[in-house]
Amino acid sequence: MGLLENAFEENVLTTKVDWLLNWARLNSIWPMTFGLACCAIEMMAVGAAHHDIDRFGAGAFRATPRQADLMIVAGTVNFKMGERVKRLYDQMPSPKYVIAMGACATGGGPYYKFGYTVMKGVDRIVPVDVYIAGCPPRPEALLEGLMKLQEKIRRTAVVRKPARLA
Amino acid sequence: MDFQAIHDRLVAIDAPGLVRAELPREPNKKEKDPGRSGESYVVVDSARMVDFLLACRDDERLDMKLLVDLSAADPAVDDENFWVLIQLLSIEKKHRLSIKAFLPKDNARMPTATAVHRGAQWHERECAEMYGITFEGHPDPRNILLPDDWVGHPMRKDYEFPTEYHGISCE
Repeated sequence: MGLLENAFEENVLTTKVDWLLNWARLNSIWPMTFGLACCAIEMMAVGAAHHDIDRFGAGAFRATPRQADLMIVAGTVNFKMGERVKRLYDQMPSPKYVIAMGACATGGGPYYKFGYTVMKGVDRIVPVDVYIAGCPPRPEALLEGLMKLQEKIRRTAVVRKPARLA
Repeated sequence: MDFQAIHDRLVAIDAPGLVRAELPREPNKKEKDPGRSGESYVVVDSARMVDFLLACRDDERLDMKLLVDLSAADPAVDDENFWVLIQLLSIEKKHRLSIKAFLPKDNARMPTATAVHRGAQWHERECAEMYGITFEGHPDPRNILLPDDWVGHPMRKDYEFPTEYHGISCE
């Protein structure tokens, strides 16, 4: 850490604010307990011992949007549910993220043509960060999606960079 | 009892509204009859369905106390009838019966079966919203699956898909 390194006593670490905040955020993404269809079964498998989403710090499924950072839309969203999804998303505190899990949440999936009540993708009501393909996706795919989200969070900057000196 | 015995019993007790029995039959090439496979059922007059169900329920030998299913079907766009399909079961006597009733599409109304079988309530609500069938005297005629402000009856063959719902495009 350049000039500041070893300038203090032993128990002091120096780092960047961005790095620290992002590190804290991306290693404790708490998802909301939110299953709409068969994708939810895969999501439960991800939460269980074999795949163990807790390795990524995202195993604390919260039963309320107010304590959640991540909404995993796991399943078919119909219009009646879509309005509730929007309301739940609005109740989550920022920074908040959305994963569209599976074909239905991504774009209507098998209900695209004849599903008269199915929303053709959850991105029509909430902004989606990561899309996961599959019907339903394998648990590994959800973990991959979560890692993609972590990469995305790692790139965000909280502190504004000062303008470069000429 | 098998189907034939049930039908005989229905005739013997003079079940109200009983029209005829339909059995599966082999195809006949000479008369150009394609035949029919599947289940045997009885056709019942929809206006007298309640009395028929009551007779099936209260007759000692029929004893059909359980309404397994009440659904409807729209066979074709140019067909002038809806079908209302009812499955009855006697748990004690271990027999069951399929019932079919025809409802004209331009006047799709029939009396509710909830007075005989309370379990018919949700089935009838579903038929009502999916096909636009009116069940007269239903105690709670709200939509059961669709949103309250939904337009149209999705299971009808001539249903036109919505283009948007509450500002969200359906395309």
